[in-house]
Amino acid sequence: MPLGSALVVFLAAVLAAGVVRWVGDVLNPLTLTVPERVPFAGGAPPDYHAWNRFHIRWYTMALLFLAFDMEMVFMYPWAVVFVREGLISLVEMLMFILILVVGIVYTWRERGFEWA
Amino acid sequence: MGIREILGRLARAAPIPVFPVAGADAIEAVRDLRLRPEIELVATPRHASILLVAGDFGVNPIPGLALVHDQMPLPRVTVHWNDKSLGDVHGHVVGGDEADLVEALSALDREILTAPDGSEPPILPDVDLVDWRGVGPYGHGGKGMTGGTPFGRPLAERAPDRDGLELDQLPITIGPWVGALPPGLQVAVKFQGDVIQEIEVVSAFGPTRPDDVFAAALHTPTPVAILELERARRHLRWLADALRFHGLPALGLWALRLAHDLSPQDQTEVEDLLRSVRRSWVIKMVLSRIDGGFDDRSMRAGLGPLTRAAGLEDDARMDDPAYQALDFQPILGRLGDPAGWWRQRMAEIIQSLDISSRAGDMTAFGVGSVEGPRGRLQADNPGTSTPLELLPGLLTGLEWGDAAAVVWSLDIDPFASMAADLPVGVES
Repeated sequence: MPLGSALVVFLAAVLAAGVVRWVGDVLNPLTLTVPERVPFAGGAPPDYHAWNRFHIRWYTMALLFLAFDMEMVFMYPWAVVFVREGLISLVEMLMFILILVVGIVYTWRERGFEWA
Repeated sequence: MGIREILGRLARAAPIPVFPVAGADAIEAVRDLRLRPEIELVATPRHASILLVAGDFGVNPIPGLALVHDQMPLPRVTVHWNDKSLGDVHGHVVGGDEADLVEALSALDREILTAPDGSEPPILPDVDLVDWRGVGPYGHGGKGMTGGTPFGRPLAERAPDRDGLELDQLPITIGPWVGALPPGLQVAVKFQGDVIQEIEVVSAFGPTRPDDVFAAALHTPTPVAILELERARRHLRWLADALRFHGLPALGLWALRLAHDLSPQDQTEVEDLLRSVRRSWVIKMVLSRIDGGFDDRSMRAGLGPLTRAAGLEDDARMDDPAYQALDFQPILGRLGDPAGWWRQRMAEIIQSLDISSRAGDMTAFGVGSVEGPRGRLQADNPGTSTPLELLPGLLTGLEWGDAAAVVWSLDIDPFASMAADLPVGVES
């Protein structure tokens, strides 16, 4: 893309963001007060700041990512084969996906998707 | 026509968004407001234009409500309905019945929408506790993740998690006016992520005891038909609240409408409702998530449906001659888990309607104890049956959503539970 076109896209994006902000300010000119900014927890003020670190179970997430990523990797070459082979390759891919779905259902049953 | 006028017209045509704060004696009246099409009871103050303070709190609730009040967007107004709280009242006072309240709310809503100058000013100052400043020369750095104590609030403390790691443990006080918990219940929770590491019940307001037909039956002979109809009504109200919490407001409204005008002849419609609840995939999925480990902990005498759901034959009605004459046999479950508690109460609704239709003018005498909808009431302590003390054992280790589902399955009345240790006839 020529530099001029990129600049036009950039300026258009900046303009669009500015317009959205301006419309938002017109529709709601009020700013939040300090009590309004406090998270609602049923009436009690928070004693601690809400920023905190918790374990999001990277290991489970990495395994699931690998499973789904590999699935997609196999589907790209399959798209080429599908053009040549037709229905038979569709059935084969459905069987492959079905096997993965069984794994997903098993993981769900074992509460593998609950990362808390 | 300006944009404010257009929005004002739309707002006037919509139901009035009301955030309710109900004391012990007003919980049922406020719940019944859901049946009024003119009013929408909203979940947070941010959705409301009217703060409704109703009933008896035992103490002046306004200091505790200042934050709730100031979290409502402008224009806003406070309405006290039959409020017997102590001290100065902030806002408008309305007496009378439900129709009077709805009329007053409609008038006030129109007033603040057409003349926003009538909106109430904030109670709390619009300043942070302290400025956010770290220890560095440019306000940066310090102890902890981001440094300092942001806006005067310290960061979460560190504590071991279940994987043996040392991670943040965030203490939060939740309630007493939050939709995830029954009104009046306040808990202090320590979270790691959304898993509860520690939980403790905090009593937010002074104990009060509502008038109760079951407590009165301890001293006054009461027709069995009235007691059983009231029991079915209480269970339907619990069902209405629980369904609403689980995101099934239409079913909840159906249950509430039935509870409002319940008679023994409604048994067929109640069965239709309960069939719809049993078929609900939402309820099945939510309750099936919370399984295991509940039977031993909740299997304690005196907790009414919770005890009977665990298979224990524990029911004061078995000792009452009137119920014996009616061939009363308690319904017993197999497992005291949240799904079992739901099944038990729904079965007892039908049983109570059946007894109510057969009881005629038979009278229960309350021989030292009466079986209330939440368990056994005794003459020397009519509030003993409380599952509040079970909460830490039941909820520790659960995710917050599951914990709230367990709380709603228990059918807790925090006000009655707080009054458990008061002698009969004494209120604070």
